[in-house]
Amino acid sequence: MSGRRAVTLVALREIRERLRSRAFLVSTIVLLVLVGGSTALNGVLAKETTYHVGVTAPVPAGLGAALDRAADPFDARVRLKVLASPAAARAALRDEDVDAVLLLGDDRLVFRATVDSELAAIADGGVRALRRHLPPAPELRTATIEPPDAKDTDAAVVVAAAGALLLLMSFAVYGQWVVSGVVEEKGSRVVELLLSAVRPQDLLAGKVIGIGLLGLGQLVLVAGLGAILLAAGAFDAPAELGGSLALVVPWFALGYALYAVAYAAAGALASRQQNADTAAQPITYTLLAAYFAGYVAVSADADGLVANLLTVFPLTAPLVLPARAALTGVPLWEHALAIALVLVTIVALVRFAGRVYAHGLLHAGSGLAPRAAWRAARRT
Amino acid sequence: MSTGLGLVEVVKRYGDVVALDAVGLQVGPGRLLGFLGPNGAGKTTAMRAVFGLVDLDGGHVLWDGREVGLAERLRFGYMPEERGLYPRMALGEQLVYFGRLHGLGAADARAAASAWLQRLELGDRAGARVEELSHGNQQRAQLAVALLHRPELLVLDEPFAGLDPLAVRTLAEVLRDEAARGAAVLFSSHQLDLVQDVCEDVVIVDHGRVVATGHIDELRRRSRRRRIDLRVEGAPDGWLPDVGGVEPVGSANGALRLAAGRDVDPEQVLDAARRAGRVVEFGYGPPSLAELFLELVG
Repeated sequence: MSGRRAVTLVALREIRERLRSRAFLVSTIVLLVLVGGSTALNGVLAKETTYHVGVTAPVPAGLGAALDRAADPFDARVRLKVLASPAAARAALRDEDVDAVLLLGDDRLVFRATVDSELAAIADGGVRALRRHLPPAPELRTATIEPPDAKDTDAAVVVAAAGALLLLMSFAVYGQWVVSGVVEEKGSRVVELLLSAVRPQDLLAGKVIGIGLLGLGQLVLVAGLGAILLAAGAFDAPAELGGSLALVVPWFALGYALYAVAYAAAGALASRQQNADTAAQPITYTLLAAYFAGYVAVSADADGLVANLLTVFPLTAPLVLPARAALTGVPLWEHALAIALVLVTIVALVRFAGRVYAHGLLHAGSGLAPRAAWRAARRT
Repeated sequence: MSTGLGLVEVVKRYGDVVALDAVGLQVGPGRLLGFLGPNGAGKTTAMRAVFGLVDLDGGHVLWDGREVGLAERLRFGYMPEERGLYPRMALGEQLVYFGRLHGLGAADARAAASAWLQRLELGDRAGARVEELSHGNQQRAQLAVALLHRPELLVLDEPFAGLDPLAVRTLAEVLRDEAARGAAVLFSSHQLDLVQDVCEDVVIVDHGRVVATGHIDELRRRSRRRRIDLRVEGAPDGWLPDVGGVEPVGSANGALRLAAGRDVDPEQVLDAARRAGRVVEFGYGPPSLAELFLELVG
């Protein structure tokens, strides 16, 4: 049989069998509930925003009411704070006593460092209503008194942390599926029959691809729900973060391929009595180490040397690169280098694992020490 | 004309232990070859070598004179010593899966699966998980997987082990039918009477070496020993014929079994028996396969 046909058959069996398993259904539902639930929670907590807007005296009659009416569709309220002078307004802004200062004489809405588009829209609508003007000409120009903060926005931090965590979890969970699949085949001894008709590397590839496609499907489902909620405005996040979120998908594929192949080899090396968990441990520890190294390095200095190194180092790249892309942006060459290095590592690992797999799977009973497996692999 | 499976000078060492020491055997299409030997003689290792599951230290595994590769193995059927199927996969689907792995199309695989389930009386269990099947039915399922794709070669490691007499009869029939359709059949067994019934040819291995090979009747005739069965009424207890080269092997219910050299004249034994009493049973012939086996590897 051609290798591709065997790989396809093996992958299809993995997908079919797992789609039916309760574990898959439950994990999918739990993920969807988590995403949906966190959104609902976000919605509840952000039920009503109150904006504090400074206005220099004198305040025209009806301004407060007009602003409140304009704020209503946004589930927000506006509190006016009357300030004595432009200097006082500037001071209030800098101290963050107010979110913005409305300078009616200048037709300007002044923020401290970043423009809040929702408040800008509310103020614009309120002032227009007060002046009985018609759209679309804007009533107000926005401005800031300080340069944008170097500090990351909260949303970027959330996306980076959640993205890295999601990747870590998915590598570990789907990797565990790979290990348990391999251990099951070895334990039930069906592997002897399989390998009489399928090359070990085809069996390995089919298993990794099948589970990977399932994982990708699950991830797309969850990410799709997240994207819909984002589009519906459930999250208070800037639109450009969608791009960072999108990076999670290709890096899932790359990182999963890397770690799943390693997991498969670990499963093959396990003894028949060993359970999947202990077999998976070396790889899971590596994965956790990669995650924490990335986490520490990026939180310490997202643009530092270590963070840059970990962005391209194959074992950490799948976790660090999407996170850094959300936080600070990653130059194109670094993307290219990271992808190239990960691909090279995957190819090397597939070759090694394919050989270890064959020897490990057929090594009945006792486990096979990696060194012995490596020696055996080199002989063939 | 296909020459079937050939193992030529096959060598496998595990450290200092020589598991296969230049083992050779041949199974042609339509032939049934019994593969015999005590535990640890190397039968399983040799059979696994046919499927590339053992890295050989020397020798060749040939099909029609050419080195066996994956393409050939897909036309072989295998029942490993270590039985095993996916425990949680439905039986019918499992058969289809293995049929497809061996190159059958989806429709062919489904048809073959249901035909074999029917023949092996598992027709109503197609939807059951393998782990839900009884031991005997799991064994049948394993056989069905080996047979599903109409293999040109069947390699069965201890297929009769653990079967009840009815299942033994069914399996013997299946093997004969497979050979009749033109498959080469190689199977190992410790049930030597059964092998004598089912097979024409045997290979006997011991300590990794072939100690006998050939047609069963031929091997039995070539043995230097002969078997004599005797029942004599009126003979005193413990009586033995006073003929050189004859020794008792055992006695049961008054019947005496003797082993004699091939050169011993059975008439002399019969005469001696007549002198001792009334001879009601007398049998003479080459050793059974079981006796031959003990003679060779005992």
